[in-house]
Amino acid sequence: MNRLMLALLTAAPLIAQDARSIVDEAQKRSRADSQRYEGTLEVIDSKRKISTKRWVYERLGAAGESKAVLRFTAPAEVKGVALLIFNHPDRASDQWMWTPAVQRERRIAFQDRRTRFFGTDFTFEDLEERDVDRSGYKLVGEENYAGALCWKIESTPKAEARSQYSRLYLWIRKDNYVLTQAECYGKDRLVRRIRYSDIEKVQNIWTPRMLEVHDVERDSTTVMKLEKLQYNLPLPAENFTLQSLRREQ
Amino acid sequence: MMLLRLITWPYVRKHLLRCVLTTAGIVLGVAVFVGMHTANQSVLYAFSRTVDRIAGTTQLQVSAGETGFPEDVLDRVQAHPDVRVAVPVIEAAVQTGIQGQGNLLVLGVDMTGDRALRDYDLDNADEAIVDDPLVFIAQPDSIIVSRQFTERTGLKLNDKLTMQTMQGPRRFTIRGVMKGDGLASAFGGNLAIMDIYAAQMVFGRDRSFDRIDLAVREGVKVEDAQRSLQAALGPGLQVDPPSSRGKQFEAVSRIYSLNANVTSLFALFIGLFLIYNTFSIAVTQRRSEIGILRALGASRGQVQRLFLIESGIAGLFGSILGILLGVFLARGLAVYVGSFFGEVYGVVERAQEVSAKPSLLVFALLIGIATSLIAGWIPARSAGQVDPVKALQKGRVQVISEGENRVRRWTALAMLAAAIGCVFLGHSSFFFYTGYMLSVVAVLLLTPALCTWLTNLLRNPLKWLRPVEGALAADSLLQSPRRTSGTVAALALSVALVIGLGGIAKASYETIREWADNALNPDFFITSSESITQRSFRFPPSLGDELRKVEGVDEVQAVRTARIIYKDTPVMLVAADIESISRRVKMHVIEGDAATMYPRVARGEGVVLSDNFALMRKVHAGDVLELLSPTGPVRMPVLGVVTDYSDQQGTILMDRRVFIRNWRDDTINAFRVYLKPGMDREAMRQKLQNEFGGRTRLFVMTNTELKQFIERVTDQWFGLTYVQIIVAVLVSILGIVNTLTVSITDRKRELGVLQAVGGLRNQIRHTIWMEAISIGVLGLAIGFALGAVHLYYILDVAKRDLAGFRLAYRYPVEIAAVLVPVMLGSALFSGIWPAESAVRGSLVEALEYE
Amino acid sequence: MIHLTNVTKEFDGKRKVRALDRVDLHIAKGEMVSLVGPSGSGKSTLLNLIGTLDKPTSGEIVLDGQKLSGLADDDLTRVRRDKIGFIFQFFNLLPSLSCLENVALPLHLRGWKRAKARDRASELLDLVGLGKRMDHLPDELSGGERQRVAIARALSVYPPILLADEPTGNLDTHTGAEVLSLVRDIHSRLGATVLMVTHDRSVAASCSRTITLRDGCVVGDGTA
Repeated sequence: MNRLMLALLTAAPLIAQDARSIVDEAQKRSRADSQRYEGTLEVIDSKRKISTKRWVYERLGAAGESKAVLRFTAPAEVKGVALLIFNHPDRASDQWMWTPAVQRERRIAFQDRRTRFFGTDFTFEDLEERDVDRSGYKLVGEENYAGALCWKIESTPKAEARSQYSRLYLWIRKDNYVLTQAECYGKDRLVRRIRYSDIEKVQNIWTPRMLEVHDVERDSTTVMKLEKLQYNLPLPAENFTLQSLRREQ
Repeated sequence: MMLLRLITWPYVRKHLLRCVLTTAGIVLGVAVFVGMHTANQSVLYAFSRTVDRIAGTTQLQVSAGETGFPEDVLDRVQAHPDVRVAVPVIEAAVQTGIQGQGNLLVLGVDMTGDRALRDYDLDNADEAIVDDPLVFIAQPDSIIVSRQFTERTGLKLNDKLTMQTMQGPRRFTIRGVMKGDGLASAFGGNLAIMDIYAAQMVFGRDRSFDRIDLAVREGVKVEDAQRSLQAALGPGLQVDPPSSRGKQFEAVSRIYSLNANVTSLFALFIGLFLIYNTFSIAVTQRRSEIGILRALGASRGQVQRLFLIESGIAGLFGSILGILLGVFLARGLAVYVGSFFGEVYGVVERAQEVSAKPSLLVFALLIGIATSLIAGWIPARSAGQVDPVKALQKGRVQVISEGENRVRRWTALAMLAAAIGCVFLGHSSFFFYTGYMLSVVAVLLLTPALCTWLTNLLRNPLKWLRPVEGALAADSLLQSPRRTSGTVAALALSVALVIGLGGIAKASYETIREWADNALNPDFFITSSESITQRSFRFPPSLGDELRKVEGVDEVQAVRTARIIYKDTPVMLVAADIESISRRVKMHVIEGDAATMYPRVARGEGVVLSDNFALMRKVHAGDVLELLSPTGPVRMPVLGVVTDYSDQQGTILMDRRVFIRNWRDDTINAFRVYLKPGMDREAMRQKLQNEFGGRTRLFVMTNTELKQFIERVTDQWFGLTYVQIIVAVLVSILGIVNTLTVSITDRKRELGVLQAVGGLRNQIRHTIWMEAISIGVLGLAIGFALGAVHLYYILDVAKRDLAGFRLAYRYPVEIAAVLVPVMLGSALFSGIWPAESAVRGSLVEALEYE
Repeated sequence: MIHLTNVTKEFDGKRKVRALDRVDLHIAKGEMVSLVGPSGSGKSTLLNLIGTLDKPTSGEIVLDGQKLSGLADDDLTRVRRDKIGFIFQFFNLLPSLSCLENVALPLHLRGWKRAKARDRASELLDLVGLGKRMDHLPDELSGGERQRVAIARALSVYPPILLADEPTGNLDTHTGAEVLSLVRDIHSRLGATVLMVTHDRSVAASCSRTITLRDGCVVGDGTA
């Protein structure tokens, strides 16, 4: 699930060598061949109603060429629902969903990427892992954020990316190249703000353990916590197939 | 205009009731026309709005008639470069356990990516309506219902709702409420949404979709996308804009429109005679006035125009009243028509607002005025011809010339001859309808002559009945052929209309009954819905094998029915075990040889068509049909044509194996079950119900119940016919009342003389009553004859242009028998008031009356 | 034969009109009386009252010993058809019936047998000199002939009273005279009491008694 921040870390050398290399470096530093964590997700809507979900996430492969399985464990209504994601470097990812109650896997077609991801404040686009070169970058300055000095970088998705956003601002810490905040603009209005906190070094990778997504328009917040985080652990490739999706219920 | 105010208005004011009665025919004619068409249009409009609401921003839909298609089509559609978004849909009409709520249309949609296409909620951001989308998808009992539905039923979020599914009644959880006036208001809110994969399971659809809704990529023209997608998918799948769904409706509504047109035409015809009648009398009555006008220098043309304007105004008022009445009628009719349209979605369509198109109203207005003007033409002309000298002479009556009569008679006979000629050229529509018109007009032109002849025949029985009054009544009729024949013609038209409608109803009932007795002979019909026309739920083929194993069951025939599109019209495809069916059912074969065609059909070498399919589409044995299936076109030779009334649009009978192969669908709508001889039907029904009813949605219908069901459907179909019959009878009663009222005023002096020379009140009364009854008898006699002709033609219309049903000519003797007391009774009834007014008035005035 | 005592007739309308004002009149059996007076003097009203076509507002009329007051409409009709024959200015023949049928009409209304009624009707038509035109329709006859048919009809039951409302008013002088002489002839032959409304002085002069009305009152009653 934390690939999502990587989706935002892409760079284009032609426009601004500096900005692009910062983003590139950030991506390199967070790179791991596999990953596993247990996530907790809380959606706090505008009426302060909270709903909680838990899942286990496993990923095999690195940026652009990875496969991941996300399996819900709580609450009871959604237990067993699983998501299989194949990320491709050059095109949108393939996703399948398994719903045990109807014994069916379904292909999720990312046709409208503005659609929110199952009641959270993420959209499907936010979940995609995409090529660095699909955006242009510009260093706009340096700012203090959450007690650390950051580069503030403006990222502009190219037309071929068909992004819902017109531009994004990224705050990347100068000391450890960790992304700490992203502001997403659609048609010059702030749509979404993502904050990364509880940044810890796990297996030599600086990793934020908490993500906070705030949907400005709907005044709704999703808080995600990553627990039992492990990098570069051995995961069998056969766990990342449709068959295994059906098998493990 | 001045003339109008000075001359016409006082007369109208004096004879207000008569004027109102006169326009009654126009009123009813226009009312029926406006009512039926408005109801039709309103329902169609409501339907198209529903289609729009359900379609949302869908620009194109991919479907395969009603059969559905395998899931992989979705990938092909999504992969097409012109497609921006494509989402699968399943539709099912289901019953809820809640009393009085009717059916819900359940849309199974892909809850993960569908939102771009539909506005579930116009007020807020879309997902807000579903509490938790992940829970919604994870739990197959999740549904979204409309705000209107929750308000009606008092249900709220997370409440349970029972619906009929393949697994029997199941409880669903309301996990979302949609509001707004988009999708949420379709079918008055009787619409629910669930996850498509859950819907597949719940409605026994296996891995197929009913439809794919899509939006094209920006910058691509919808028509271009339609063409290229159609080419990519092949002919088995149809790519259409959502609005084309209305086509199915129009096929049904066309029959209504035609029916409405025939009835309005007749009503207007009747109105024409009423107006003609009253104006003729008015001209006679007002001839001294006309004489004065002429003497004062009014030209012939001015007088003629005055009367024409009067009839035009009468038509205008009649039309306006008719339009008002029609719009009022439309409300009631819309409910009725809407229930019929329920056939398409399985959910009753209610016209939310009944409003008429201005163009329709203008048209109705023009028709009403035109009718009135035509009716007023001859009286206006004779008004122009009034001789001022004679008119001013008191006590003189101008008699219409005998010459006109002769011309009319010869014209009528020539028309009749031409009409008979047309019968032989009947294969051409032009000659057919010309013949129809000619024969009706000929009979109407002959009415005066027939009246005279019949009245002469009646004179003696009447005299025998009451020597004085009888003779007087008969003579009074003979004395005024114009007046008499006008009413009689109006009456005869109504009777003919009733005979025609009744005849077609009788023929339909009897033909359908005979067919049902013959074709529907299994002991049980096992269906997945209460209504056999509902095809939302389907059985897996394995159920057939299980049924066959039940002790006491002799034979089980699996039947799959589905509507497919053949040359742009929806027709019924019936896929069944032909070998077994042909052994059990001896259908009436019209073309082909029963001995050879069924085995060939069973081998998949061709199809058998229903009679109406063959007639309407002019297909015959030996022709080849090209049917579009999801796997591509299927070319099937027509091996035979049989009598079959299963569907109004016609049926194609094929072997089920052909269907399974080409449509890749082995689900079943109904099983026809034959029991072993001597089995107790009721016990067996219980047994089947107990054995299977618990785990699957299943209805065991006995042979009798099915026939009752068919009877009910036929009743529903003819419900409107009875309304029309009532209208026809009503108009004719009004006609009699009108004529008698007018006739009595016209003869005030004559009746006064009768009393002066010693006629008792009862004698006067009896005279008028007998006159009324005589008019009734004349109208009935001519109407019965005209009805016979009308029925002949209308049956042919039904055959050639409507449903293609070959209906036997059966004269509706029962209805004719009922008409005798009804018409004579209403004639007598309508004679009462004029008779009373004749005997109660002042004699002195009556004698001076002029 | 005809006795009127204090008979008043008022017509309701926008303005109440008193057509007859306390008229007393006695006509003996067998008299031939003419009734004259200007328009609106109440001649026709008086005739209508005597003919039972209308009822007086007050006063009593006795015809041939029969009091009219308190009689129902149908009873009045019975009195009319037994005792009174009417001759109208405009003949009032039914245009659809032949002369014979017109004359036989009152007889039919009284329930006479067809053959008997025919015989009587043809006898009467002979009497008025139209024996050869029995099967003609009224429209095919001249005005004088029509009036003669009307007279035959009035006589059909040999009523004791014959009432005529301007019988010659719609005829030319010559025909009028013919019709008048017919009436006189019948009067002398059948002995009926005749009351005749007329404008024509010569007609009035031919009667044995002339009653003059003005403004609803009898202002003259003289024997010629």
